[in-house]
Amino acid sequence: MTVAAGIGYALVALGPSLSLFIAFISKKPFLILTLLSSTLVWLISLIILSGIWRAFLPLNSTTWWPFAILIFSSIAFQEGLRLLFWKVYKRLEDILDAFADRVSKPRLYPTDKMQIALAGGLGHGVAHAVFFCLSLLTPAFGPATYFVDRCSQIPFFLVSAIIALAFVTVHTFSMVIAFNGYAEGNKVDQLFVPSVHLAAGMMTMINFAYGGCVIGIPLLFLMAILTVMHCGRMVWRRLSESQRQVDS
Amino acid sequence: MESSILESIGQEIIGVMSPVSLCMLLVVLLVYSLSDSNPFSSSSAPIRTAANLVYLENPSDTTAQKLEGALLNALVFVILIAIVTFVLVLLYYYNFTNFLKNYMRFSAFFVLGTMGGSIFLSIIQHFSIPIDSITCFLLLFNYTIVGVLSMFSGGMPIVLRQGYMVSLGIIVATWFTKLPEWTTWVLLVALALYDLVAVLAPGGPLKLLVELASSRDEELPALVYEARPTVSRNEGNPRSTLGLLVAGVSDSGSVELQAVSNNNVRRDGAENRRSPEYTAIQVRNLENVEGERNRDEGERSPLVGHSRERYSSDSNSSEYSTVIHNRESETSVDEEMSPLVDLLGMDNEREHERRDSVVASRGIKLGLGDFVFYSVLVGRAAMYDLMTVYACYLAIISGLGCTLILLSVCHRALPALPISITLGVIFYFLTRLLMEPFVVGMATNLMMF
Repeated sequence: MTVAAGIGYALVALGPSLSLFIAFISKKPFLILTLLSSTLVWLISLIILSGIWRAFLPLNSTTWWPFAILIFSSIAFQEGLRLLFWKVYKRLEDILDAFADRVSKPRLYPTDKMQIALAGGLGHGVAHAVFFCLSLLTPAFGPATYFVDRCSQIPFFLVSAIIALAFVTVHTFSMVIAFNGYAEGNKVDQLFVPSVHLAAGMMTMINFAYGGCVIGIPLLFLMAILTVMHCGRMVWRRLSESQRQVDS
Repeated sequence: MESSILESIGQEIIGVMSPVSLCMLLVVLLVYSLSDSNPFSSSSAPIRTAANLVYLENPSDTTAQKLEGALLNALVFVILIAIVTFVLVLLYYYNFTNFLKNYMRFSAFFVLGTMGGSIFLSIIQHFSIPIDSITCFLLLFNYTIVGVLSMFSGGMPIVLRQGYMVSLGIIVATWFTKLPEWTTWVLLVALALYDLVAVLAPGGPLKLLVELASSRDEELPALVYEARPTVSRNEGNPRSTLGLLVAGVSDSGSVELQAVSNNNVRRDGAENRRSPEYTAIQVRNLENVEGERNRDEGERSPLVGHSRERYSSDSNSSEYSTVIHNRESETSVDEEMSPLVDLLGMDNEREHERRDSVVASRGIKLGLGDFVFYSVLVGRAAMYDLMTVYACYLAIISGLGCTLILLSVCHRALPALPISITLGVIFYFLTRLLMEPFVVGMATNLMMF
């Protein structure tokens, strides 16, 4: 529906990430590199998953349980990859700390570590938005629009943009929670992230029913808000702890 | 609170990746906006270029015919490029530098004027911009002249030079995307292989060129994009403009660091050591011949190490481009590469005393051929789908990052094409064949993860 609508859909999906990028990440080149590498990791995971599942596609779109298995396996794989990402990040943190010692600068602050985690999460989120929403937006720049049967109230592009917005939020902040959980050994945080991701994935299954997206999408946003709140609480707790340590 | 290291690490890499990304983005936009102007005329009369000499692709040919024709085309093109590179090496060896300089000026003028002009005209046509021919001619003429001036003479702001390099890359890449599909892919792979051989093999023309240039202590006679790193905002710390960070693993399993510093200034001192400063150069020299055959030829030089660092004592001159053959006015400085821990510690104190002496640091250099062929790959991916564009973009950027890391480890001439093009081609075909049915099937059912 014209260029304006196309740009509008793109901004619905990626607007907050763009502002996060401009505010935090664009000033520090290392964070841009982190974002690019985490986007690449997500892309590779998507390629591997599609390679595994290629033989079974295209799925019959009347039954729901093949999709459930698909989503479950994909999320499990991606959470495993997050653990791997964490291990690589630990190594990188050691390298950066050693480098900081050698140039006699302070080591990485907790805020630095959280910023790296935020950049990593944002990379995942941007990759999701790009591959699930933006790449399908090309027809939206033309003169027509497209509706899916199961969710016929609003155009497909808007629905996918809104879902992408929720998932971007979930991915971005769950990476911060996850890294913090692995660093502190906090079991609650460590389990919180995969379960939220799984719950969000399963919520989209509700979209499978006719008119289901009216229920599914608000629930998805509930998950996103939950993630943001948990992340905010955790960051506040960490920062006040480290402030207390500095003061004492 | 002191500033952390996170502020300044990785600046040079980003300084190279941003113009490459910008070039790719603009080529994709141009391809998209100009492709639907006349969807049928492109297949009716394909222009015969140097890349098309043997075989003109026809959509109705069989797969085997297309593959064979594409291979022949690529072979002929690579041979042409090799011949031209050898001619260039010969000319450089016999010191025909004036001829080379004027020839490069002419070719830049020609490319910007005619190829840029035709793209400009098709944009005007496509968007129905109301502009008269005299204004158009005047604008084009100014654009071309300023381009030639900024690229080949000193005293111009470096931003202008960088901008014109990027626009030259955009123009040539847009023209290359008009080639037929099979020919493009096979040509890209063939050029990546040629680059690998020409830079690393003992008799390779680019290796010879680099050795000649470094033995004479001159710049390479070609078009190179220089990414000048900006001086860090944090003036309080002299170490803030440190170069690349490379990690090596020592045998004890712990991590050892090697930081390549490229902005040390030493005027005296017992610690003076003449050690080389290594920057990356890859060179592309474009030539365009008018007539019935539009020949696009190029030569490529490897990423190169410079054996001498130059700096200027004037604080403003870091913004201005250096002239290729004018070295007398600048003094040479001993450059210190600081590989180990203790030297870095000592560097700090010296730098503190001498912070007023301004340093122009040499950033990474990337040849224009890389810009062009990365953008050709992404432009060709854009003709299929946006998903392939993103996948190829990420692949190329990660290949470029790997090459830069390898460069800081190996400290010698490195070709920038092979890794990126290989990754780009692999990701393109994987995305097109595997990922797209997966993602589109799920997304249209509104199921995402």
